[in-house]
Amino acid sequence: MTTSPVSKTAPALSPDNDRLNFPQMIAIPALERRDYAMQTWLFSGVFWMVVAASIGVIEAVKLFYPEFLQGIPALAYGRLRPVHVNIGIFGFMSMGYLGAAFYMVPRLTQTALYSETLGVLTAWAWNLNLTGGVLAILMGFSKGKEYEEMPFPFDMMVGLLEIAIAGNIFSTITVRKEPRLYVSLWYILLAIIPFPIYYTLGNVMKFRGIEDAIVNWFYSHNLFGLWLTTLGLATLYYIVPKQLNKPLYSHAISFLGFWTLAAFYPWNGGHHVIWGPVPMWVMSASVTASIAMLIPTISTMVNFGGTAWGTQGVMKRDISYRFSIFAYLSYVGTSLWGSGLAIMDLNAKLHFTSTTIAHVHLGFVGFGLAGLAAFVYFYLERSLKLGYSRTLAEWHFWLTTIGVVGYVVSMGWLGWLEGSDWAAGGSVQGVLELRYWYNVARAGSGGLLLIGQLILVWNIWKTMTSPPSDGKGLDDLKLVSLNEGVSR
Amino acid sequence: MRFIREFPIIVALSFLFGLAFTGLVLGPVFASDIAQPSAKLVAYTPIEQAGRHIYVREGCVYCHSQQVRNVKADQNMVDAYGVSKAGDYYYDLPHLLGTSRQGPDLSNEGQVWGKASGDFAREYLIGHFKNPREYNSQSIMPSYSYLSDRELEELTDYVQSLGAWKVTPDPTEAEASS
Repeated sequence: MTTSPVSKTAPALSPDNDRLNFPQMIAIPALERRDYAMQTWLFSGVFWMVVAASIGVIEAVKLFYPEFLQGIPALAYGRLRPVHVNIGIFGFMSMGYLGAAFYMVPRLTQTALYSETLGVLTAWAWNLNLTGGVLAILMGFSKGKEYEEMPFPFDMMVGLLEIAIAGNIFSTITVRKEPRLYVSLWYILLAIIPFPIYYTLGNVMKFRGIEDAIVNWFYSHNLFGLWLTTLGLATLYYIVPKQLNKPLYSHAISFLGFWTLAAFYPWNGGHHVIWGPVPMWVMSASVTASIAMLIPTISTMVNFGGTAWGTQGVMKRDISYRFSIFAYLSYVGTSLWGSGLAIMDLNAKLHFTSTTIAHVHLGFVGFGLAGLAAFVYFYLERSLKLGYSRTLAEWHFWLTTIGVVGYVVSMGWLGWLEGSDWAAGGSVQGVLELRYWYNVARAGSGGLLLIGQLILVWNIWKTMTSPPSDGKGLDDLKLVSLNEGVSR
Repeated sequence: MRFIREFPIIVALSFLFGLAFTGLVLGPVFASDIAQPSAKLVAYTPIEQAGRHIYVREGCVYCHSQQVRNVKADQNMVDAYGVSKAGDYYYDLPHLLGTSRQGPDLSNEGQVWGKASGDFAREYLIGHFKNPREYNSQSIMPSYSYLSDRELEELTDYVQSLGAWKVTPDPTEAEASS
């Protein structure tokens, strides 16, 4: 253990207690349980996932039955929408996948987490802060730009807490005992390091007019690309080889995928304003980068595809693995779709339509939610050695699948119809009637998704409170197999 | 050395991120058409600014865009009002370009239901805020009957200012805003 013994008095600066280890000295014994930080993050993420889905269903109903919950300012569509999105990003995805990161980092580095106490405290502070921020939006204090609605001081706290989280993870990586860095750790480094820069830029800096819009989307696309995608991919790169018990198809390809992603993703922001009132070169750079994203996407596709080739047997048996494959396919689908939407001609037709909404939900639900579910089942079975209910998990899987497919198909197709209508000279008012049944289908799919996630929560609860089984799998601090082939 | 140390990775990542930062954040600062307002553009009056604040607070931007693009889908608006330019947004903070059109684009609403149409336009807008389905039974816009009369007036002033400056502005109004 690298953790110092708990000191009752204020730490003195002696050779044993140097300054750098100060955060480790304020260890709270009750929180110094192995994996406690990771559990707090992960299960908070699952909690917020259910909240985000519930709000999503309420919104979806409002889109075809606007009188639903009408007249309550805090529950008006325009206020629920940013709450849904902020909880989706900062609650469900950030917290869930940070849970996964707090799990992976100690195992991949063969080193105990720098400070479990700090990990747990940051998780609770993040929860409280997010609750405060969301309530502030509901009360009408939104800052009004997408993904940066949370007002001061809640926005600032997210940035500060992230620095504490990054410090915790980074310190663990720095003092690691396993010298080799597996690809998951690269993605985690990419996630935690630039975040404070673009987060501050998006939330605190004030720009004028169009510059404000460009910075807004620079920030928000980095949030998706460098924060959520990287944490999600890190998780998949960790669990898939373990679920299959075989090494990754190619470390060289993962190397290519990682560096091209790091090079092109930060340029993507401008594709939110294609054909918009921005300088031509902003558009060109972003369109080019968005198309260039095909390289990391195809690398990841080939790498996971190669690893997963011929594993239908495992897919049938292991629901966790099935979710991984679902997340992988959704990732590839979302990325290809995203590159496609950046093609100027397609963007001209589809930019303001429901297609974008379908695209986002394939990413967040198809990739994000399925990947997190895969990790949760993996964690319960392989690490805690608990047997979860297979029947419930099957229900969860199929409800999620039907929900995602229903959502993406209904909104994607509606978007295409809207785009065609508008390109033919139609107006927004003209598609209102057309939208009705598609919006009903969307709400229905969302409802199925929500039921599925409630089943997941019920399953986790039952599993965690039941006595441990004899356990088949193991995922202790033995990870040599993942690093097979990682040479330099 | 048998393994990758994290330090070179961080240097390389910082370089790649720095490139994009320079291109997308620092670059536009020096773009001339962003740094100056369009001809005839007038700043918001305090009342319009208050209305804009309500527009932000109620999240109108999630359903209503404020940009006309030079594409086929926007052709009718391009013909009637022209394409949106960077300088049109000079006084906008925060920007309200929007990404979705659950409802119609509002960048020229001040010409559609403008002050020039007199009380009729104003009554329509306020009535529509309070109960959109009275005017269009298929509308899915929320009812904003919970806003106070004063807030509705401010919001209406803001909406009527959108794009209104493009047609020759009323000189008294231009004076009041400066």
